[in-house]
Amino acid sequence: MIASSFPAGARSRLDFWQVASGAILALFICVHLILEGSVVISPKLTDGIAWLLEATCVAQIAAPCLVLLILFHFWIAARKMPFRAGELGVFVRHSRCLREADTWLWLVQVFTAVVILAGAFFHVYTVMTDLPITVAGSAKRLHSGWMAFHAVFLPCVILHTGIGIYRLAVKFGICSKAARNRVRATIWIVMGCYLTLGTLALSRVWFLE
Amino acid sequence: MGRNLKFEIFRYNPLTPDIQPCMRTYRLEEHPSMTLFIALNMIRERQDASLQFDFCCRAGICGSCGMVINGRPGLACHTQTCDLPNHIALHPLPVFKLLGDLCVDTGVWFRNMGTKIESWIHTAKAFEPSVPEERMDNALANHIFELDRCIECGCCVGACGTARMREDFIGATAINRLARFHIDPRDNRSPADFYDIIGDDTGIFGCMGLLACDNVCPKNLPLQDQLGIMRRMVTIESVRGIIPAFIRNKLQGCGCKQKC
Ligand code: HEM
Ligand code: SF4
Ligand code: SF4
Ligand code: FES
Repeated sequence: MIASSFPAGARSRLDFWQVASGAILALFICVHLILEGSVVISPKLTDGIAWLLEATCVAQIAAPCLVLLILFHFWIAARKMPFRAGELGVFVRHSRCLREADTWLWLVQVFTAVVILAGAFFHVYTVMTDLPITVAGSAKRLHSGWMAFHAVFLPCVILHTGIGIYRLAVKFGICSKAARNRVRATIWIVMGCYLTLGTLALSRVWFLE
Repeated sequence: MGRNLKFEIFRYNPLTPDIQPCMRTYRLEEHPSMTLFIALNMIRERQDASLQFDFCCRAGICGSCGMVINGRPGLACHTQTCDLPNHIALHPLPVFKLLGDLCVDTGVWFRNMGTKIESWIHTAKAFEPSVPEERMDNALANHIFELDRCIECGCCVGACGTARMREDFIGATAINRLARFHIDPRDNRSPADFYDIIGDDTGIFGCMGLLACDNVCPKNLPLQDQLGIMRRMVTIESVRGIIPAFIRNKLQGCGCKQKC
């Protein structure tokens, strides 16, 4: 341990903003995927929800805010990412030796983050420049090549959100050591449900007449 | 007949820098209840007198024998060979200064850490030698003792991905130590004081919650829970003035039964 390189006295609220932005994004994703999943029941229902959100301008306002929030979240969380020369190598070698599930989970978090950062921008851009949002429009997009994008983007978002929530609970002492295995199992099950819902929704739109 | 164990041991002496670091192989027949402490001593006595490693109590009390055993930090005296495969690789703990082969200097690191976090009771009360000691509730004394059991072996630091990447990271053992002062009613430091010590990326905010520290600690200290309590306290302290007090108090509830 060497002396701190941090300026003394400067209040660092970065961790607070990191969880706050992460938690808001996680909440958004959980709601977004469920609303999107309504297509499994009926495409009409989804169109109705989309119309409601657009007519009330919620979609138009939320979209740019979310992009900004993602950028903000990335800007804060990136200070933890192994960018500096050699750090990633050290960390991967360390994880291999250690065989620790939680150490690996963090690497998953970092890799999915990069995919989401790039993907979220394209995703929001294509959807919001092609209003109104309709299931038929989504089907056209999927068939014009976006299916592959979603097949990668969806699991990444779900993994990052699920692991993020688990890690948040663990890091802030909400999930104690005694509860850790149970919480982790629960998170995997919830992630599985979301993945199933997402996959069903995508295939429903794909096979839309 | 016991198993034939193959040891691969990291060898390097900083005093002879022209000899490159290498892994040297030793073979040994396993005995019942053989620990790595016994095995290493047998190797040194019978095969290679130049092998350096640290031991003292051989009972998991002094913390000198921390090393990386097949990739995971642990106490050599606490590890039985029967729990390991035939092939055993031993490395010195990372992060700490290498003294030679499996020996590292944890002492200087821990002293610097203790100085940085001011690892002593902070009180304005003058010491009265003639007055009987103040009594402490038994449950609280046990709770403090639970956190005080750290033997400074350095395993949690060696297992910590953050400590490997960031040299100035303070480590789980330091945060556990502060948690111990946090629950000690004799220590008058407030959350604001703790914030000043660990409220940055070299302290609790540097910890990424990878939890390897908790899983390897040979004394089973509740590191994960203490990191959680301290992170919550310091984070809430960091937004004093932004978030109203009643919300901060609601979030606090750290379960340590102390006024925070
Ligand atoms: C779908 C949108 C996203 C959601 C729901 C989300 C959610 C979360 C949550 C809940 C955490 C845990 C917070 C913590 O551990 O303190 C987290 C951590 C993290 N996020 Fe995100 N995030 C999203 C997008 C992104 C993006 C676009 C990036 C960057 C490219 C990113 C980078 C990170 C990193 C690196 C961490 C780990 C930080 C650490 O644990 O130290 N996230 N995220
Ligand atoms: S939780 Fe992880 S990052 Fe934090 S001190 Fe422990 S091993 Fe290091
Ligand atoms: S907290 Fe545990 S692993 Fe870390 S130095 Fe103390 S006894 Fe060793
Ligand atoms: S020799 Fe003392 S802890 Fe192993």
